[in-house]
Amino acid sequence: MPVHHVLLYLFTGAAAGLVGAMLGIGGGVFLVPLLTLVLGVPIRAAVAASLISVIATATASSTVNLDRGLVNMRLAMALEVATSIGGLGGGLAASLLSTQQLFVLFGGTLAVMGALMLLRSGRRNVIADTSVDPGRLGGRLQEGDTTYVYRVRRLNLALAASLVAGAVSGLLGLGGGIIKVPVLNTFCGVPIRVAAATSAFMIGVTAAASVFVYFARGDVVLPVAAAVALGALPGSIAGARLGQRVEARALKIFMAAVLLLVGGRMALEVL
Amino acid sequence: MTGRIEALEDVIETALKVGLALSTGLLLVGLIAGAGRPLRWGILLLMLTPVVRVAVVTAGLAVERDWTFTAVSFVVLAILLSGIWVSVHR
Repeated sequence: MPVHHVLLYLFTGAAAGLVGAMLGIGGGVFLVPLLTLVLGVPIRAAVAASLISVIATATASSTVNLDRGLVNMRLAMALEVATSIGGLGGGLAASLLSTQQLFVLFGGTLAVMGALMLLRSGRRNVIADTSVDPGRLGGRLQEGDTTYVYRVRRLNLALAASLVAGAVSGLLGLGGGIIKVPVLNTFCGVPIRVAAATSAFMIGVTAAASVFVYFARGDVVLPVAAAVALGALPGSIAGARLGQRVEARALKIFMAAVLLLVGGRMALEVL
Repeated sequence: MTGRIEALEDVIETALKVGLALSTGLLLVGLIAGAGRPLRWGILLLMLTPVVRVAVVTAGLAVERDWTFTAVSFVVLAILLSGIWVSVHR
């Protein structure tokens, strides 16, 4: 592989890791379109490289987020059951769908989530009264000098969203955070930073549920996947650090914009 | 309980860092030398890091005797291992 291609993949991975870790979505959402549409990588090789990069992003950003107490471990474990079942199913089903169907599914999912996120960006989930019991799955969040409490609501919805997120992840090479973060934040009472950190913690496991299927099928192009993952590592550490400094509302609007843009772009490709 | 979860988080963080360091080293060597074998092992090691992470969590929670979440975590581990099994035997 020529050196300038390696550099291009490294840079692509770094950019996807930076934004992906900041929003807790892994970065597959940028990687798959970039690799397929701009760099001409076949979709299944792009999905496989993306899943590996998602694992790199999840692992690297979690070393930062665990240190800062942003990961809700119990919630992550409960939801991982649903995402990993969905992930394995999606990975196995991927060979049954056409490229065009994959693109439509991808674009449609993103656009809907983007609209949802934008509509509800003004709401906050945290309670300033620290005497409130966060419950078994809830937790506390430190922002500057203030400690907030949050409770997890509608666990069934979070589990259902995680199952779908897992399946979409296995099919499309995403982390699945693109579905989990908006649902956890807008419907389940989880603050955006905790939703992002917890999702980032989970997406490595979601991706791992399907990535072995791709690997065994020979879809992993080693130098492409390696260069993208190597770029994603420093990118996602920087993204995780940056995510903690940005205002919560700005994070939500940024995420909504990203979803609408990428979703629209993918949908246009098919039309 | 919270203190124990924090201790477990430290162990997980170390496991993730070791997995990252080893796979990064192999991927760098593979890319620079243009060698397939270190690339393959680096990618496989990276893919296995989340599986090891879930195994560490399962073991940690069992040590803490938090049986509900040990069971939850064990189910995740079983799904991941069955994914690997299916991939190898297809």
